[in-house]
Amino acid sequence: MESDLVQPTIERIRRWSGVECPNAAARHGLSDFPPLLAELEALRGTLVFEDEPSSFEAALQAEKEKTP
Amino acid sequence: MNAPVDATDLATLSMTEAADAIARGEITASALLEACLARIEAHDGKVNSFIRLDREEAREAAAAADKARAAGKPLGPLHGVPVAHKDMYYRAGKVSTCGSKIRRDFVPTVTATVLERLDAAGAIDLGTLNMAEFAQNPTGHNAHFGDCHNPWNLPYCTGGSSSGSGASVAARFVTAALGSDTGGSIRLPASLCGVTGLKPTQTRVSRFGVMPLSFSADNVGPLVRTARDAARFLRVVAGHDPKDPTSAREPVADYEAALTGDIRGLRIAVPQQWFFDGADTVVVDAFEAALEVLKARGATVERISVPSLRAVTAYGALLSRVEGAAIHANWMRGRPGDYSIHLSARLFGGYAIPGHLYVEALSRRGPVLRQFCTEAFGRFDLVATPTLRTRVPTLAETDIDADPQNWSRFMAVSANTRPFNYLGLPVVSIPCGFDDRGLPIGLQLAGRPFAEARVLRAADAFQRDTDWHRRLPPLG
Repeated sequence: MESDLVQPTIERIRRWSGVECPNAAARHGLSDFPPLLAELEALRGTLVFEDEPSSFEAALQAEKEKTP
Repeated sequence: MNAPVDATDLATLSMTEAADAIARGEITASALLEACLARIEAHDGKVNSFIRLDREEAREAAAAADKARAAGKPLGPLHGVPVAHKDMYYRAGKVSTCGSKIRRDFVPTVTATVLERLDAAGAIDLGTLNMAEFAQNPTGHNAHFGDCHNPWNLPYCTGGSSSGSGASVAARFVTAALGSDTGGSIRLPASLCGVTGLKPTQTRVSRFGVMPLSFSADNVGPLVRTARDAARFLRVVAGHDPKDPTSAREPVADYEAALTGDIRGLRIAVPQQWFFDGADTVVVDAFEAALEVLKARGATVERISVPSLRAVTAYGALLSRVEGAAIHANWMRGRPGDYSIHLSARLFGGYAIPGHLYVEALSRRGPVLRQFCTEAFGRFDLVATPTLRTRVPTLAETDIDADPQNWSRFMAVSANTRPFNYLGLPVVSIPCGFDDRGLPIGLQLAGRPFAEARVLRAADAFQRDTDWHRRLPPLG
């Protein structure tokens, strides 16, 4: 049974990106989203106001091996 | 340095064995190349690992390599060894298809920095290898150039997206191959084809002249037979590149010198979350047996909890989807029918993800990496997991183009490899057994950022006591 998320998502993609749903497999793939949404819901509130993408490169340096 | 060689079929030599034998004058680059070409001629009709074979150019290069050695000229660390690359590394003036119909005739005007570095090290470029279309599947399917087939059992997946890289190294068509890894695309073909694959730390190797998939998570690395091969290969290709401002300025270590076999006191953590969900018994058994090998050499193993994996897997699922969708938007609007079904289907989902969640995934990446390192590496040196949780699937049972119901089996293939791309950590996959259908099983070892030397030391120690990586597929 197809998730009720699928059709509205297809319409939103058409409106925002101009991309049409290419095939049945794409519809099937959208049905895969609810578990991911649940996981992202569980992470709400963890983003700190000062977090930013460049912190990743800094973390790579900070967490590197001290005595290889 | 490897011991003197005694091989009836030169193609069975590992990359470093071959390079060392050429340097010592025990074999010639031309003889090695002919041995590889003979195997390609005999078997690649079944395996389908090459997209373009540059046979005559390679012969000329091998002859020049032998002439250079005879003349006493300085030799590079890969002098005379045949290598090939996934068909997404650009060489100026040569077609780079990216495994696609859309770029079937694309001729780049630049050469990838990694290809220039391999050339400078003396490697012989044998041509371009089959791959998932635009490096976007974990199985090895390709609707445009034909599926790549697992040399161990042809109806089974090679793993992807570096399908031809894994298959050609396993089949002894080349001594080494370049792959790329955005969600497991080096480690999966390494595991499924029974070879060694290294995804270096994010930013460790230049991506200049490499087809983009996801700028946050794309990595360049080798598929080879042994950890020693990976160590030498990485030293050649790693290091800052002014043409790729994202490449790290971190010094490049002598990774091969770190391969001492001594792993006494090495502390290995095995996360209890995620990596064993739905795992097949035969895979878990091989994984546990591999840990015993490492313990016998003096490593310790402990099962740990890693709560941050929940954030890693959720955020990791967003990055490459959104970035891939953005890169392909023009073609998805104008030429959707030129993609294979599974690829356009996967790309389509990327347009559904809200921008603020994508920014959140990027912005949380640093803090999540720090949390993971505290949890996993606070008391440990390496993390160990199976590379693939299940037995190797067949091409048919993961074929979304034939039946969308295969979606979940297709997506499950990269479940254990994707987390390390979000984390950006160095990871090696090495063969650690075979399943009950004769297909290889892989062991994944991850370390802290830029700890490639330690990761490879453990892999090499394992390979000193096992012969899984030496076994030859029964191609007939």
